[in-house]
Amino acid sequence: MVAAPGSFARYAPSFRLIKAHFGLGMVGLLAFSAALALRARDLDGFFFQPLLLGLVHLCVLGWLMPVALGAMHQLVPVVFETPVRSERLAWVAFALYAVSVPVFIIGMWTLALGWILPVAATGAATAIWLYVGNLVATLARAPRRSLTGLYVIAALGWLLLAVTLGVLLAWNLHRPYLPLFHIALLRAHAHAAGLGFFGLLIMGVAYRLLEMFLLSHGASERAGRLALVATNLALLALVPALAFQLGTPALALAVAAAAVGVASFIWQAVAIFRRRMRRSVDIAWGHTAGALVYLALAAAVGAGLALGSAREPWVDRFHLAYGLLALVGFAGSVVVGQLYKIVPFLVWLHRFAPYVGIKQVPAAADLLAERPKEVQFVLMHVGVIALVAGVVVDVAPLRVAGAAAFVASSLLFVRNLGVVLARQP
Amino acid sequence: MIAVDPAVSVEQAARDALFEVHDPETDLNLVDLGLIYRVSYRPETRRLEVLMTLTTPACPAGDVIVEGVQRRLSLVPEVDDVAVEITFEPHWTPERISSGGRAFLGW
Repeated sequence: MVAAPGSFARYAPSFRLIKAHFGLGMVGLLAFSAALALRARDLDGFFFQPLLLGLVHLCVLGWLMPVALGAMHQLVPVVFETPVRSERLAWVAFALYAVSVPVFIIGMWTLALGWILPVAATGAATAIWLYVGNLVATLARAPRRSLTGLYVIAALGWLLLAVTLGVLLAWNLHRPYLPLFHIALLRAHAHAAGLGFFGLLIMGVAYRLLEMFLLSHGASERAGRLALVATNLALLALVPALAFQLGTPALALAVAAAAVGVASFIWQAVAIFRRRMRRSVDIAWGHTAGALVYLALAAAVGAGLALGSAREPWVDRFHLAYGLLALVGFAGSVVVGQLYKIVPFLVWLHRFAPYVGIKQVPAAADLLAERPKEVQFVLMHVGVIALVAGVVVDVAPLRVAGAAAFVASSLLFVRNLGVVLARQP
Repeated sequence: MIAVDPAVSVEQAARDALFEVHDPETDLNLVDLGLIYRVSYRPETRRLEVLMTLTTPACPAGDVIVEGVQRRLSLVPEVDDVAVEITFEPHWTPERISSGGRAFLGW
């Protein structure tokens, strides 16, 4: 073979590393779904309570974060054409994360304020600091810069801040020492993690995945660049405004910038979609479209909460709806939809690719039938919509029904990925 | 009787063989996808040279596609050696997809 600048598989880490992260994420998804179903009746009231703090951290650290970290370790080396700086360090971080996070979540759920909670939080944070360091070192060696790279770097920066704030909060629960109002800092922590890390990461990676899987070319990146700048400006206004309780002007600035960021992101995603060469799209893109709807709804509810002054009990319900829309609706839909694309593709690359040119091999998309994916799609979104509606109108049976549908969708989702992972040539 | 240039017939056989190598994501073959720029055969060395591209320089399946091309073309009669060169000059664009390929993709 002569020169092959398109030789990329050498950059990807071992499949075991990615499978370990995705596997941990699936365990987290099942645990979160079960916890949600068991306590759906109790999803009401002010958000600062052990049940809700435990559920949110189970969702974020148990389900979404391991999947995001696994996806980043696969995508960053391939997209930026440089291997992970240290795969050994990634395994060390994984081990520390897998040990610390369950202890931390149990501590949060039970609000065990002794040494266990802050020590476990510090363990989980150390694991994430190691991950971030490794990924930043990887990106620093990348031969080329791109819009997605800028998003990933910004997302890692906000993750560092979110995790650091989280550790400070955990120790503050153990023994109060912070001069700031704990719940104000908690809001800043949540938005640095939610919008800063997950939001920016999903936006930046979505552009690449949409182009790659939909065979889309030629869409202008202008809206994507605007989304990056506006979302970061929003965060630079929002995080201090929440932490230091700066009041309405700072929040209004943040809301305006966030609105521009979210709208620009949706605009960019739609522009890429419209220039696709694959006309027929599968259900994975249904999840992505659903995610955009949840994102727009979460942004609208978040803006109302930031700028509103009402203090009635229904405001608490909208806080919960905001969290559900952003985490389970938006981030969860993206994670599910993209795993339906990434996992078959990785299985295909590792198991079927050696037979290309020798015998007929199925396409990556053919490794799993459409029907189980469609059933899972319906269950998941009926579940999320019922959960959000049940929280907003405060109808416990609706929340229970929604959680039950979500549990069924989670079980089916894990089964579907298991089917793909079991496929052999 | 019309004389057939052996190089032309091997090149045609190679092009036909490349219809059997598919992109893993779209399942469209590489010829209809417009990734093959040039196929040339050197009878004196029995060497087949392919100049091709990928849909994007960061294509995660780049290695696999190149190796698939090599494996398939090494089975073509009269070929002892296969050399695949990747180029991004010119860059691939959707306009390179054949009409059959467009129909396959749903357009």
